[in-house]
Amino acid sequence: MTAMIEAQGLSRSFGSVHAVRDVTFAVEEGGVTGLLGRNGAGKTTLMNLVSGQDFASAGTVRVAGEDPVENARVLTRLCFIKESQSYPDAYRGRHVLAIAARFFPHFDAHLATRLVDDFDVPVNRMMKKMSRGQRSAVGAIVGIASGAELTMLDEPYAGLDAVARHVFYDRLLADYARRPRTIVLSTHLIDEAADLLDHVLVIHQGRLEIDAAAEDLRGTAVRLVGRASDVDAFVDGREVLGRESIAGIHSVTVAGVDAQGRERAAAAGLEVAPVSLQQLIVHRTGAPVHEEVA
Amino acid sequence: MTTLAAQIPARQRIAAVMRLHVANPWPTVILPWIVLLGVHALTWSIWALISHYAGDTLEPEAFRYAGGVSWLVIYMMVIAIQAMNAGFRFALGLSATRRDYYVGTVAVFGLMALGYGIGLGLLALVERATGGWWLDGSFYAPAYLYDEPFAVVAFHYVALYLLFTSMGSLIGAMFVRWRAYGLYAYFAGLALAVVAFVWWLVGAGGDALVGFLRDNPLAVVMAWTLPVSAVLALLGWLVIRRAPSRG
Repeated sequence: MTAMIEAQGLSRSFGSVHAVRDVTFAVEEGGVTGLLGRNGAGKTTLMNLVSGQDFASAGTVRVAGEDPVENARVLTRLCFIKESQSYPDAYRGRHVLAIAARFFPHFDAHLATRLVDDFDVPVNRMMKKMSRGQRSAVGAIVGIASGAELTMLDEPYAGLDAVARHVFYDRLLADYARRPRTIVLSTHLIDEAADLLDHVLVIHQGRLEIDAAAEDLRGTAVRLVGRASDVDAFVDGREVLGRESIAGIHSVTVAGVDAQGRERAAAAGLEVAPVSLQQLIVHRTGAPVHEEVA
Repeated sequence: MTTLAAQIPARQRIAAVMRLHVANPWPTVILPWIVLLGVHALTWSIWALISHYAGDTLEPEAFRYAGGVSWLVIYMMVIAIQAMNAGFRFALGLSATRRDYYVGTVAVFGLMALGYGIGLGLLALVERATGGWWLDGSFYAPAYLYDEPFAVVAFHYVALYLLFTSMGSLIGAMFVRWRAYGLYAYFAGLALAVVAFVWWLVGAGGDALVGFLRDNPLAVVMAWTLPVSAVLALLGWLVIRRAPSRG
């Protein structure tokens, strides 16, 4: 496997704000990568840099081995759908789809037409008159139908209801199975998307916090509940992600616990529960480590 | 890694940008003509009223100085500003390069300049053939255009159109690159240029300018706007080639 995206010490700052700081990672060709993080963590800035829409302050980014900035060789293979995409004033939904077909060499117009029905998008409505969800759906349709070798979707379902989101996951996976490619999906609905993801990048305050296979992440963190002394004895020396205590009973989220470790914890009289990807990321990117509950 | 080739050839990419601007032809191609004909109809009815009441006392050149076409160039400047703003960000959102975007956009403006220039020139011909719309009025070739041949009238509009769209492109590009600060800079620069121009005019320049306008035919005067337009368009490119699309 070769790398579709390679970032090396990539940084972008706006005045004193460091939106992306010294980020290094690689996204392999094929597979679905989740780019996760809180609002303002730097997800969109990072994707802007990868798609050559913004310029790095420091470091480098390569797509398919080349600098994406002003590079038609890279850009004709890439589709980046952003949440805040602006459209020309006079555009209706159908204009967006008609023009997108001219910019993406693998655009599947039949699929786009079917997706319009699936998402129930009023394509004859002016883009500026559409609701947030409808605009998101137009973006999602372009992204899925583009068939681009690197398809990046930034919060593709902002404003979409649960049914439309389900349609999105379903159609994205169906097209992915038909036309395998590299997909990068940014979202903060982590649990919903978790099953979709092969790889996870978590960005927090501009820095890369986690870069791991989704499978590894799911297995490693557990929640241990038990008497304070038992819990403390077990977690001593381990990476504690979160801690709650209620009247002498401790509940601790710990990273890096393998199957053997879980058996030992159970043997020590602790209750062992799995931690979802979302809980894990919440713990790693924001929740205070110690939380006292009266 | 093997060397990549672009999956869409350059000419096709530029054509796609051109189509992007006229995907909905309403604001750029259709609406201006409708408004223009509306203004024309309004002007004509005022002429008709005046000549009805003035009768024989009407001066022979009374309807020689209509300015009904001039809004068109301002409108086109606004179109150019919008194209550089929303059009630019949309095109980059579809993975266009800035270079392809700018070349395609300038090509669209060039074609539209020709379309509007020739169209207005033809209407000026009709105006003459009908004796000024039967009222000796000059709407499409007023004032200094009155005696000029078709080619000069059309060229005059082409050059004027290019001048205003290249100005609009530069304003739009500066906005995309530097947001409000870009506009402040643009209008500060414009104000300085106007002051410098007036300064020159009241000093040595006044006679020189009058002499230049008097001694040179209109076609030559208008031809001098072409290098100005080219410089503005070039400045627009220098600004937009490093403009981010973050919004």
